[in-house]
Parts: sequence; structure tokens; C-alpha cells
Amino acid sequence: MHTQLPTGRLPGLAAVLLSTLAVCQPLYAEVAVTGAVGVSAGGASGPVMRLFPTTVLEDIRETGAVAEEMENGLQEVIHRLDLQQQLYTDSQCQGADGDEGCAQISKQIGSTYLEMLELMSDRLPTMEKAVNSTRLSLEKRLRKELGQRTTPSTLQDQLLGKSGSVAAAQANRPALRGRSGVRLSDRFKQYYQLVASNSEGPGGSLAVVASDIYLDMEEAAQLIAATQEEIARASLMEQLNQSFGVITPEMAAVVGGVKEILFGESISDLPIAEAPYQIGKSEFVSPLEY
Amino acid sequence: MTIRFDAQYTSKASSQIFTQNLKRASRLLGLIVATVLFSACEAAPVADLCGGRLGNNLESAMVETERRLGSGCEYRFDSYFKDNLATAEANPDTENKRLFSDHLLRVNDMGVISKRQARDLYNRYFNVKFVSLAGDYNTCSQTCPVQARVISDMKTELQDKELGLLRVSSDNASYYLADNLLKETQLVLAATCRACEAGTNAGR
Repeated sequence: MHTQLPTGRLPGLAAVLLSTLAVCQPLYAEVAVTGAVGVSAGGASGPVMRLFPTTVLEDIRETGAVAEEMENGLQEVIHRLDLQQQLYTDSQCQGADGDEGCAQISKQIGSTYLEMLELMSDRLPTMEKAVNSTRLSLEKRLRKELGQRTTPSTLQDQLLGKSGSVAAAQANRPALRGRSGVRLSDRFKQYYQLVASNSEGPGGSLAVVASDIYLDMEEAAQLIAATQEEIARASLMEQLNQSFGVITPEMAAVVGGVKEILFGESISDLPIAEAPYQIGKSEFVSPLEY
Repeated sequence: MTIRFDAQYTSKASSQIFTQNLKRASRLLGLIVATVLFSACEAAPVADLCGGRLGNNLESAMVETERRLGSGCEYRFDSYFKDNLATAEANPDTENKRLFSDHLLRVNDMGVISKRQARDLYNRYFNVKFVSLAGDYNTCSQTCPVQARVISDMKTELQDKELGLLRVSSDNASYYLADNLLKETQLVLAATCRACEAGTNAGR
């Protein structure tokens, strides 16, 4: 018995692949300079949390390298699928069952789709290994640094950051998980800048980045397992479809989802802009404040 | 003879019973009068002292609150605090935060609330940080077992912060920061608690 691949899964996987790719290279460079990237738990003088030691960064680098290959391949295939789909639409092939030219385009689309599945099938075992390695090393760091060495109160301090004012703490915050409407590589460039610019910057940010990557990796590990199961079935189905030249709605949805993640076409979930902070006003600090 | 004696006895007995009843009736009457007088003296002034509006000006409302709290109306503290928040909401100002802080400190000095209560109330409404996410034990052992409840409490607290920071103090930046802190805490706790759980499972 197989599991059905929902349209959201492939984009989710692609998100993980791309995210790992984007964050990996700059972080690797950081290893050479600092050896590890940490979070200051209570300001500059507090104990430094090592959420991104060399081993974690090395795992991320490796995952990113695998993901890069996959991303490049997928982009090229998706571009081709786009063109073929455009041709199919422009030729008004929708519903033109008897037309030989349209049947030919359908088969080409199906063939390209198969190519995409095969590409993923080839890369997934390596990807699975790399993702699991990163997931486990991050899991260990999170458990130790945020789970066992942090109290709920200090966790708040870290997330808020002790080094600056409200305005300073608001700056440089990466977008949280989920569809942000921007390219994933851009989102992870923000992560990188946060990690690489100053290891003792806004304290909470690295905790957020570490949590974000860890949850992505965990989701990815599950998706890879499900996708591997699905690819065999999807390939078989598409091979059968090749005989009839059918473009299934699932194919269109999967490709659309991958594109959305790759190029950030959806902008519906953008956060509402915040009111600007008024500079020049001194903040009242109550003696009752924590 | 026997009959006469009985008649004498009966006459004496009735007289005694009558006297006893009269005493009882007068005692009862006295009790009723005392009760009526007592309740009349007791209820009317307390109702006047503790009830009634505090006023539309926040500072004078707080002065009035403190006067009443010092005059036996301590039990009304919670409702006074809510009334004062409503007054402040109608007159939003960045200074309101300071007024509430000073007011809570004075009420603490009066012995109406403890220092901890004062601190928790102030921080619940006027600080970015969450009272619901506090504790001195590590996150794995203290927060993760009740993660869902903590997040739920924080969401409720964010509504109080919306009142205190946004609507009372016009401190939009702090409110949005608290909102963001809640989102980040949700994310970090989700990851951390999953990591803690994985460690616990591996250790078994």
C-alpha cells in the first residue's frame, strides 16, 4: 500500500533543500574564522551558547552541497515544464483530445515530469543521510543549550536580546517559518547575515534560526521518506500515462507548488507592517519590571 | 382540698408562664431592634465607601482607589484595578505605564498586595516579557511537559498586553515586540521540546 503524495509535500521538501543550500555556504566560511557560532545568553558578558559548533556547521554545509545539486537540476526541469505547459495552453490543447500535436505536447510534459521524479529519486538517499545528520546534531545542541542550560525566564531574555533597545531588538530578525512570499534563498541569506555578522548580536535570533532549521530538517526527513515511497508509484503511473498522453491535475499541482517555494510567488501571507519606533523618547523602566 | 390546691397551683403557674413569655418577647423585640439598627449602621456607610465611580481622571482615580483601599475596601482591589485600566484606556498616554507602576508600588506599601502580586500585575500588562513564561528550572523539565498550556497562557497574556501596552500606554513598538516574542517562543519551544523528548526517548 502506498501513501498519496499531497501537493504540499514536494514544495515542503524543496523548501528544505533550498534552505539548506542557502544557509550552508556562508556558514561554512564562518567555521574557518570562528570555529563556532554561539548565542550570548545574558548579554555580552554572559555565558555563550554554542548552538552552531563546527560539527553542526559542517553537517549543514554537506546538506547544502547535496541540496545545491538537487536545486539546480529541479530548476532546469521546472523551467522546461513551464515552457511546455505554456505551449500546451497557447495551443488551446485543453479538451482537444483528438489532436495529435496536443497529444505530443502532453507526452513531452509527462516525460519531463518523469525526469523530475527520477532526478529526485537519484538524489534523495544522499539527501536523506545528510538531513538526518544535521537534524541529529542540531537536536543535541538544542537539547543541551536551550533545553537543559536555559530556564524559561532566561529564554525570554535571549529571545529579546539584552544588548539593545526595543528598536535594536526588532532589527535583523529573520522571517519565521512558513511562506513569507520571498525567495527562500533570500530568507536564508538573512539567517546567514544574522549568524555570521556577530555571534553576540541579538541573542534570541540564533536560537530562532537553530529551531527553524531543526524543525525544517525534521519535516524534511519525514518528507523524504514519504517521497521515496511515492516516487516509485508516481513513476509507474506516469509511464502508463505516457501511453495516453494525459496531464494529471496532480502533476500540475506538484510543479506549481515547487515553483512557489523556489521563486516565492505567493505573497498572501506577508506580515502586516509594524509601526515605526519613535526615536528620541526615553523608555520608562519600572522598578517592578523583570 | 386537692382541687383548691390545684387551682392555686394553676393560677401561680399561669402567672409565671405569662411573665416568662413577656420576658422572651421583650428580649426578641430588643434583638430585632438591635439587628435593624446594627445593619442600618453597618451597611450604608460601607456601600458608600467602597462603591461608586472612581472618576475619569486616572491620577485622581488612583488616589481615590488608594484612599478606599486604606479604609477597609481591600477586597475590592481587583475591581478597582480593572476600573483604572478602563479609565486609562479612555485616556491613552505613554505616562500611564509610570502611573500604574507607582500606584502598584504604593498599594504594595499599604500592604494590600504583595510585592510579587504587584510585579506580576505590572509585567502582565506593561512589560514585553511574559509572566506566563517564568521559572527557575530548566526548560526541558519545567516548560516542555506543559508546553501547550504555557503557550495558551501566553496568548491570553498577550491580550492583556494589548490593553496595557497598546491601548493604555500607546506603546505600539513594545506590543509588537511582545507579539513577536510569543511567536518566537512558540517556534523555539516546539524545537527545543522535541529535542528534549528525543533525548528522553533515546535514554530509555
